[in-house]
Amino acid sequence: MTKNTPTMLDCGKTIEELSAYLAADRTPPDVDIDICPECRSALDGLDQVARLSRDLIAHDASLLPDPPESWITTIITNIAQEVRAGRSLPLYHENPRVTVSITEGAVRALVRSVGDDIDGVVIGRCRIDGDAETLDAPVEVTITASILWGSSAQELSDVLRTRVHAALRQHTDLQVTAVNIVIDDLHGFNSDREVTP
Amino acid sequence: MFSNGEDGTADPQEDVADHMLVGRAVDGDVAAFETLVRRHAPLMRAYAARMLGSVSAADDVVQESFLIAWRRLPALNDPSAVRAWLMKIASRQALTRLRRRPADFALPERECAVPRETEPESVAIRNAQLEALSAALEVVSEDQRQCWLLREVAGLSYEQIGEELRISPSTARGKLARARANIYAQMEGWR
Repeated sequence: MTKNTPTMLDCGKTIEELSAYLAADRTPPDVDIDICPECRSALDGLDQVARLSRDLIAHDASLLPDPPESWITTIITNIAQEVRAGRSLPLYHENPRVTVSITEGAVRALVRSVGDDIDGVVIGRCRIDGDAETLDAPVEVTITASILWGSSAQELSDVLRTRVHAALRQHTDLQVTAVNIVIDDLHGFNSDREVTP
Repeated sequence: MFSNGEDGTADPQEDVADHMLVGRAVDGDVAAFETLVRRHAPLMRAYAARMLGSVSAADDVVQESFLIAWRRLPALNDPSAVRAWLMKIASRQALTRLRRRPADFALPERECAVPRETEPESVAIRNAQLEALSAALEVVSEDQRQCWLLREVAGLSYEQIGEELRISPSTARGKLARARANIYAQMEGWR
């Protein structure tokens, strides 16, 4: 089992004391420890154990065999049952006694598919602001998007705005007064984004 | 919609930032969530396996964690910090599973998280160091190991650790200090 005898350094400090000092984020500062070469080297060693632990889990992760595909399928089929439909947005119908509507979730999916069809564009969020549950009420659509590194934000957002407007006109009866586009990320360059730490 | 590369084409979302995928998933895009699952599951599984001492238990826990994550995603304040948030959910699920374990339940022989024999020799020294740490983690007491993983791998604060382990933050800090000292002592020779 674990060693219970404190490991004493030649300077008289124990490893336990130094570990407690680290655990307290070295506050309040202890001058005796901070100027002692032996303590400082032990502190470095203790610190390194923490970094090594993160490396160990990343290393484990890289060697762990993938779970069976059914493991992911189980997650996906379960969440797909919990749809995020949002509000019901009314559509016109010639017979006033008939109500027809499209869900907000479906409209968002439409916006995503329109955006994703444009080379260099990946849609993030899509928000419909305004009283979209009332026919003819003005609404604004705000879309966040990531564009391909090196492409023109101006050009792509113009294309995106035009196509989203057209798709919403074609498939919904929303009175869209504006399609706002927020480019909040770039993708496709050699980023330092990592899958594992 | 986008593919996940099964037909040989690159997934266009593969290098899209977490926060974009979170946004889509909040809006109901299941495929974006799947990309998040594929991106973050390896680390979560490895982490949970260390916590639980079993890969199959870890797989259950991580699966549950993603179901919970889907439901809670709209409440995530900082979508770019989704990995830390997922690790926190996995921590709680792993600890809940350990707590549900009957008191007289004999701990299973902890399996090594990963089979080691497939490693190329060129990284043998580095791996020996990791292996020493791996062995040290198995030797410290369970509560110390939990504290250690929660703090150093999942990045929880002492307050959060205290909450998860139902102890005070200062007790959590003390456990962490003892865990670190013990692991350090166990690793004698690899420093």
